[in-house]
Amino acid sequence: MAGVSRRRFLIGAGLGSLALASSPLLAGKMATPGDAPQLRPIPSTGEPLPAIGMGTWITFNVGSDQRLIEQRTRVLETFLELGGAVIDCSPMYGSSADVVGAALETLDAHDRVFAASKIWTGDGSKTREQAASSAGRWGIPRFDLLQVHNLLSWQDHLATLKDMKARGEVRYLGITTSHGRRHDELARVIETEDLDFVQLTYNVLDREADKRLLPLAQERGVAVIVNRPFQGGSLFRRFQTEPLPGWAAEAGIGTWAAFFLKFIISHPAVTCAIPATTRIEHMRENMGAMYGPLPDAGQRRRMAEYVRQL
Amino acid sequence: MSGASWLSYSLQDFVMFGPEVLLRLFIRINEAVWPWQSLWLVAGLLLPWLGCKVAEWPRRLAMALAGLAWIGCGYLFMVRYYGPVNTPATWFGWAFVIEGLLLLMLRGRALPIPLGLPLAVAGWLVILVLPWLAVLQSGDVRALALFGMAPGVTVAATVLLFARQPLLLRWFLLLVPLAWSLFSALTYWSLGTYWLLGFPLATLFLLVVALRVSPSPVQSRGLQSVRPDPERRLP
Ligand SMILES: NC(=O)c1ccc[n+]([C@@H]2O[C@H](COP(=O)([O-])OP(=O)(O)OC[C@H]3O[C@@H](n4cnc5c(N)ncnc54)[C@H](OP(=O)(O)O)[C@@H]3O)[C@@H](O)[C@H]2O)c1
Repeated sequence: MAGVSRRRFLIGAGLGSLALASSPLLAGKMATPGDAPQLRPIPSTGEPLPAIGMGTWITFNVGSDQRLIEQRTRVLETFLELGGAVIDCSPMYGSSADVVGAALETLDAHDRVFAASKIWTGDGSKTREQAASSAGRWGIPRFDLLQVHNLLSWQDHLATLKDMKARGEVRYLGITTSHGRRHDELARVIETEDLDFVQLTYNVLDREADKRLLPLAQERGVAVIVNRPFQGGSLFRRFQTEPLPGWAAEAGIGTWAAFFLKFIISHPAVTCAIPATTRIEHMRENMGAMYGPLPDAGQRRRMAEYVRQL
Repeated sequence: MSGASWLSYSLQDFVMFGPEVLLRLFIRINEAVWPWQSLWLVAGLLLPWLGCKVAEWPRRLAMALAGLAWIGCGYLFMVRYYGPVNTPATWFGWAFVIEGLLLLMLRGRALPIPLGLPLAVAGWLVILVLPWLAVLQSGDVRALALFGMAPGVTVAATVLLFARQPLLLRWFLLLVPLAWSLFSALTYWSLGTYWLLGFPLATLFLLVVALRVSPSPVQSRGLQSVRPDPERRLP
C-alpha cells in the first residue's frame, strides 16, 4: 500500500466524484443529484471522514467459504462505490479480518479505506504483536485507527498505542465499548487520556450516551464512532412493519435504515456510524443515509418520540 | 467484569456468525468429500447392525467405526470448516478427535452390550432420517447432514453404543456428546435454526431410551463386562 497521502487523496477523490455519480445508485432514497456525502472532521486533525462506515461483526465472519467471500467482496465494493471508507474490525470477529483482507485484495482497494481495528487481549504486553497480526490479515502495513476493544487491559494497551502513534506505526488511537456498558469508566478515560476516537453504542432506542459521553467527547475533541446503530438488527425487526412518520421526508428520510442512521449522524458529536450488513441492497440503503438533508435538533426529538410511541 | 455487566449479555452476543454460514458448512463439506460420503453412509447403516450382534468382533468393529466417525467429523467438519467461524467449535473438534482415538484404543477392552432390535431401528432412523433436518432448514438438498461428517448425526448415532457401556466408562464417554449437545442446542436456538435443534434433541431422547435398557450397575462394575443381563431379553 502506498503512503498516507496517497490514501487520503484516493478517499477524497472518490468522495468528490460521488456527488454526481452516486445519485442513480441511491435511486429511491431521498438523495437528489448533486448531493454531497456527509463528511465529518476527525477533531484531533481535521481529516474528513464519511459519516457512514461499515462494521464486520458476524457479517464478514464467513471462514473459507469462497462463495460467501465473493459475495461479501461485492458488499464491500458497493460500500466503496457509494463513498464509504471506514471499516471496523477486531481480532475477536473470527475470520472477518481475513475476509476483509481478501476482499480488499480482490478490489485492489487497500488505499481507499480508513482501516480501523482493535486490540483485544487481556495480555497488556501483546499490543504490537496483535496489531501486526491484524495488519497482516488485512494486507496493510499499518492501521489508520487502533482501538482498545471493550476497555480490556486498556491502561497497558493505551500506553503502547501512544508509543506506536508517536513512532508512526498507527495514525489514530481509541477505545471502545458497546451495549451501554462501563460508561462511567469510559468517561474517566476520555477525561484523563489523550484519545483520538471513542466507539460506543448509540441509536434511536439506546440513548444513554446522550447524557454524558457524547457531550464529553465533543468537549474533549474526541471523534465518536457509533456501533450497533440498528441494535444488532433488532430495530428493523421491531419497526420495519410500521409506517415512517408523515414528516420523515422533510428530514430527508425515505427508509427505516435512513431513519435510524440519520438520527445518529445528525448528532453533532458523532463522527461516523458503522452499520454491518451481508446484503448489497441493504448496503445501498444504509449508504443512502449519507446523502441529502439531515434532521435538525427538533426533528431528532420527534424521531425519538415517534419510535417510543410505536 | 462485574456480575451486573455479565447480565447485560444475551445468548446472541456470543454467536459470532450468521445462519447462512452455518448451513453452508453442510453443503461445503458434502462438496469437499464427494463421492466418498457414500462410504460413510454404508458405515453408518452397518453400525446398528454390528452393534446388535452377540459375537464380540462385530461390536468391536462398531466401536472402531464410531471412533473413525468421531475423528473424521471432529477434524474435517469441526476443526477445518466450523472452527474458523466459531472458535469453540475448534476446541470441540479436537475433543471429538480425542474421543474418537479413545474409542479406537478401547475397542478391544470395552464392549457395549448388544443393542437389541428397537435400538438398532432407532440407529437406522438416525442415519437415514436425521440428515434431512439440515435440508429442511436450508431448503437445499446438498446440505444433507451425513454420519461421519456432520456432528449432530454422528453423535446421535454413536451415543447408543456409549449408553450400552459399563457405568463408569459410559459416563466418561458421554461427557463430550452431552457438552456438544448443550452447546449446539444453544447455538441453533440463538441463530433461529430451529430444525437443527432436532440433532441435540434426538441425541438426548436416544440416550434416555438407551439408558433405560442399559446394563445394571452390578454389571458395569468392571470395564470388561460384556455379560448379558439374564433379566433382560437380548436378541
Ligand atoms: N465493543 C465493540 O467494539 C463493538 C461492539 C458491537 C459492535 N461493534 C461494531 O459495530 C458494528 C455494527 O454493529 P452490529 O453489527 O452489532 O449491529 P448493527 O449494525 O446495528 O446491525 C446489523 C444487523 O442489521 C441488519 N441490517 C443492516 N442494514 C440493514 C437494512 N438496510 N435493512 C434491514 N436490515 C439491515 C443486518 O442484517 P443483513 O445482513 O441482513 O443486512 C444485521 O443483522 C459491528 O459490525 C462492529 O464492527 C463494535
